[in-house]
Amino acid sequence: MKRNKLTPYLFLAAPLCMYSIWVIYPIFQTFIVSFTKWDGMTKMKFVGLENFQRLITDNYFGLSLLNNIKWMVGFVLLSIPLGLIFAMLMDQKFPGHKIFKSLVYLPMALSFVVIGQIWSWVLEPTGGIVNTFFRSIGLEQLAKPWLSDPKIVTYSLIAAALWRQIPYVMILFLAGLKNVSRELVEAAIVDGAKATQRFWYVILPALRPAMVIAITVNIIDSLRAFDIVFVMTRGGPFYSSSVMANYMYVQAFHNYRMGYGASIAVVQFGITLGFIIMYLLNVLKKEERE
Amino acid sequence: MRKFLLICFVVLIALTTLAKEKIIVNSYMSDPAPRKAFAELVKIFEQKYPDYEVVINTFAHEDFKTLLRTWLAAPKGTADVVTWFAGERMRYFAEMGLITPLEEIFQTTKWEDYFPASFKSTCSYNDKIYFIPQSWYWWGVYYRKSVFDKFGIREPRTWDEFLNVCETLKRNGVVPIAIGTKFPWTAAGWFDILNLRINGLEYHINLTAGKVPYNDPKLLKVFEYWRQLIDKGYLLPNHAAYEWQEGATFLFRGQAGMYYMGQFIKDVAPSEVKDDLDFFRFPIIDPSVPLYEETPIDGFMIPANAPNKKGAIVFLKFIASKEAQEKFAKDLGRLAANVEVTPPDDHAKKGLEMIVASSGVAQFYDRDTNPEMAEVGMNAFIEFMQNPGKVSSILDRLEQERKRIYSK
Amino acid sequence: MKKISRAILFYTLSTLIVVIWLIPLMVAFFTAFKTMDEIFMLRNFWSVPKTWTTDNFKTAWVEGKMQRYFLNTFLVTCISVAVTLFLSSLGAFALAWYKFKLRTTILIIFVAGMLIPFQMLLIPVYRFSVVTGLYDSLFGVILFHIAFQIGFCTFFMRNFMVTIPTSLFEAAKIDGAKAFTIYSKIIMPLLKPAVAALSILEFTWIWNDYLWSLILLQSDAKKTVTIGLTALQGQWISSWNVIAAGALLAAIVPVTVFLIFQKYFIEGLTLGSVKG
Repeated sequence: MKRNKLTPYLFLAAPLCMYSIWVIYPIFQTFIVSFTKWDGMTKMKFVGLENFQRLITDNYFGLSLLNNIKWMVGFVLLSIPLGLIFAMLMDQKFPGHKIFKSLVYLPMALSFVVIGQIWSWVLEPTGGIVNTFFRSIGLEQLAKPWLSDPKIVTYSLIAAALWRQIPYVMILFLAGLKNVSRELVEAAIVDGAKATQRFWYVILPALRPAMVIAITVNIIDSLRAFDIVFVMTRGGPFYSSSVMANYMYVQAFHNYRMGYGASIAVVQFGITLGFIIMYLLNVLKKEERE
Repeated sequence: MRKFLLICFVVLIALTTLAKEKIIVNSYMSDPAPRKAFAELVKIFEQKYPDYEVVINTFAHEDFKTLLRTWLAAPKGTADVVTWFAGERMRYFAEMGLITPLEEIFQTTKWEDYFPASFKSTCSYNDKIYFIPQSWYWWGVYYRKSVFDKFGIREPRTWDEFLNVCETLKRNGVVPIAIGTKFPWTAAGWFDILNLRINGLEYHINLTAGKVPYNDPKLLKVFEYWRQLIDKGYLLPNHAAYEWQEGATFLFRGQAGMYYMGQFIKDVAPSEVKDDLDFFRFPIIDPSVPLYEETPIDGFMIPANAPNKKGAIVFLKFIASKEAQEKFAKDLGRLAANVEVTPPDDHAKKGLEMIVASSGVAQFYDRDTNPEMAEVGMNAFIEFMQNPGKVSSILDRLEQERKRIYSK
Repeated sequence: MKKISRAILFYTLSTLIVVIWLIPLMVAFFTAFKTMDEIFMLRNFWSVPKTWTTDNFKTAWVEGKMQRYFLNTFLVTCISVAVTLFLSSLGAFALAWYKFKLRTTILIIFVAGMLIPFQMLLIPVYRFSVVTGLYDSLFGVILFHIAFQIGFCTFFMRNFMVTIPTSLFEAAKIDGAKAFTIYSKIIMPLLKPAVAALSILEFTWIWNDYLWSLILLQSDAKKTVTIGLTALQGQWISSWNVIAAGALLAAIVPVTVFLIFQKYFIEGLTLGSVKG
C-alpha cells in the first residue's frame, strides 16, 4: 500500500495539467497584467495600482457595477419566487405535467446568441411583440423603446435572461421538493393546517438547502452576466446597459487597454470570490452533515 | 511493395509541386454585395496567378474591428492581408510596427502611377507607404426621389431649406431623418459634417488630432445645430435600437425621408429601391465656410507578422491594378482609387463631381481620431442625442478623456 | 371536488406559463417562414406568415454556410465532451477515494475555476493559442473546452462518487485489484447515470458556446454554428427571416438532444446545481 501515496496524483496528472495551462495560469497572468499599462501590442509597463485607482473615479465602471447589482436584485427577487411558484405548481402530478415542464425548460437548451436574437425581436420598438401587445390593448404609453432607452435597457436585458434563469431555478426547487417528506406534509394536513400554513411552516423550511443554493447560484450568475448584454446591446446605448464583464471586454478589446481591462476582471473576481467561498462552505458543510 | 512506395512518392511530388501557395485575406466585407464582388475579384486573381490560392475569411464588420488588433499583435501571424481604413486608424498600427511598409510594390512604379497624389499622405506613416487603397466614396444626404416628388420637395441647399424639408416631411407623417445608432459611428458622421460646415476643415483636423479641447465654445455651436433637429423630433425615434442597415429600411420603405450616409447605403438597398435613391450635398450652414466633405478610403494592409508576405505583395499589386480597381468599383458603384478608372456610373460621377468641387476632405471621425478617443467620443455623441440638455457636462467629460488619452 | 378545482388551477396556470414562455419562440418560428416582402412591408413579428416559405432555411444553410458550421460544431462538441468526461472521471476518482494532502485544495481550485468570471481568461488564452500554433484550429478549441469544463465535471463526478458505498472500494482493494482496474471495472460502471447527465449538459453548453469560438477561430471553414449565426446577422442584417431560420437551425440540435435526454439534463443540473 505504499504506492498509494502517489496513485491519486497519477490520476490527477492529466486533468490537473490541462486545467493549469488553460485556467489557472491565465488567471495569474491576468493578475499581473492588471498592474500594468499595456495595449496588447507594445511592451507592458508596470504602473502599480494606477488602474485600480482609476477604476474608483471611472463613472462607467461605477455604472457597470450598479447594473450588476440590478441584475443581482432582479435575479434573486424574481427568479427565486417565480421559480418556486413554477416548481410548486408543476410538482403536482396531474397528467401532462411532464410536457408542461419540458416546454418551460426549452430556453435552457438555447445558445445566448439565439436567445439574444429572439429577444431583440420580442422587444423591437415598432413591430416587436411586447409593444404590439400594449398598443393593441390601448396602453400605448407602455410601448417603450426597450433596448434604446438608457433608463430601462438593463431591465429589458434582465427579462431576457430570466427567461432562461427561472426554469433553472425551478429545477433546483423541484429537486428540493423531492426531499420534502410526504409524511410531514400529510401530518400537517391531518392536524388541520391550511395550505398557506403548510407552505410556510412545513414546505419552505424543508426547502432551505435548495433555497440557499439557488440564491448563491443566482448571485454568482448575475455577477458574471455577459452573453446577453454582449449579444443584444454590447452595453449600449453609451454604456447604459454595461455590466462589469462587458465593460472589461470593451476596455480590453475595443479600447486597447489590456491592463485596465484586467484590473476590472480582477475586481469582478474579488467580488465574486466572496460568494464562491460562501457557496463552497455551504457544499462542504452539507457533506459533513451527511 | 516497391510499386506502392513508388506511387506514394510520385503522388507526394505531385502534391508538393501542385500545392498552391496560400494567401490568407481577412476581410470585413460582410454585406452580401461587397462580399460577392470581392470573391469574384479574388477569382480573377487566382486565374491570373495560378500559383496562388487565396483564402478569404469574412467577419462581421464590428467583430473585425475588435479582432484585427489581436491578429496584428500575435507573436505569430495568421493573416497575410487584411482590409482596413486609411488615415489615423492605419497609422496607429504603423506607429507600433505592426504592419509592413509596402515599398516593394512601388520599386518599379511610382505611387502616382496608380493613385492620386493627394491620397499618399493618408496611406503613409513617416513617409513610408503602408496602405493600398481600393475604393473610396462620399457621404451625402440620401433620399428617395419618389418620396421627395410626392411632397413636392426639392433638394435643400441651406440649413434653413433643410429644416423646411424636415418640417414638410414631418407634417406628412414621414420621419424626416433616418439613423441607426446601435453602433455609434453613424452619429459620428453627423458630428463630422456639422463641424466641417460650421468650423471648417482645419479646425476639424486639429480636433480629431486631439489638439482642440472638447469644451471649446466653437464646438458647442456644432451641438446647438444638431440639437435643433433633436428638439424638433426630426430624427428616427429609438434610433439606438437599430443598426445602420435597419435604420436604412425606414428610408427604403418610405417611412423616413433622408439618411446622411456613405455611398455604401446602396449595397443594402433592395433592387426596386436602388434606382430611386439619390443624394444631395449636406446643406450649407455658414456661407463663409468653404465646402468640405467626408471621403473615407478603404483598402488593404499587410500585417508585420504575415506568414506569406511575398504572396501578399503580389496580391496587393493586383489590387492596385486598373483591372482590379475597375471591377470592384463597377460592381459596387464606388469610386476606384486608381487614377485611370473613371466613375462607374452616373451616381458615382455625381459623387466624384461633388468631391472635386469641394475645398477639402476629411476621412471620418473614427478614422482621423485615435481609436481610444474615438470610442469615448462616439459614445458621447449618442449620449448627447438622447440627453441634449446635458451637452456641457458631456463635453466636459470628453475633455477630461482627451487630456488623459493624449497625455501619454 | 377539491381535486377538481386543483386540477383546474393547475391546468390554467400551467398553460398560461407555457404560452408566455413559448411566445418568443413562436416569434422566431413565424419569422423564419415569412417571405422578405412580408417582413419588409409589415415589419411585425407576431403574425402568422401569409405565405409560408422554406427558402430562408435554404439561404441560411447554403449561402450562410450553416452546413459547414454544423459539421465543425458537431466535431468539436462530441470530442470535447468525450475527452472531458474521461479526464475528469480520473480526477474525480482520485479526489473521491483517496485521502491525500492536497485533496481539499485541489477540489477547491476546480470548483473556484468554474465559477470565475471567464473573461479573465480571454487575453492569456488567446495569446497562448497563437504561440503554440493552436489558434484557428478546431483542435485548439477542443483542447480549451476540455480544460475549461474539467473543473465542473470533476467536481460533479466526485460528488456522485462519494455517494457510492466505501465498502465496494475497500473490498476491491483487499482483493488486490490495481487502482486503475478498480476505476475502470468497478467505479465507472456505477457512474453511468452521472456520465449520462454530464454528457447531455456538456453537449448543450459546448454546442452553444460563442465567445471562445469567436476568439480562437478565424477561418470561415472552421467556424462553429453560433459564430455562423452572428455572421449571418452581420450579412443579412435586415432579412430577419434568414436570421430566424439560421437561429432555428442553430437551436435544432441542442433542443432535440435536450428533449430526448431531458431526464439526464435535469439530473445533471440538480446534482451539479452550480452552473447554467
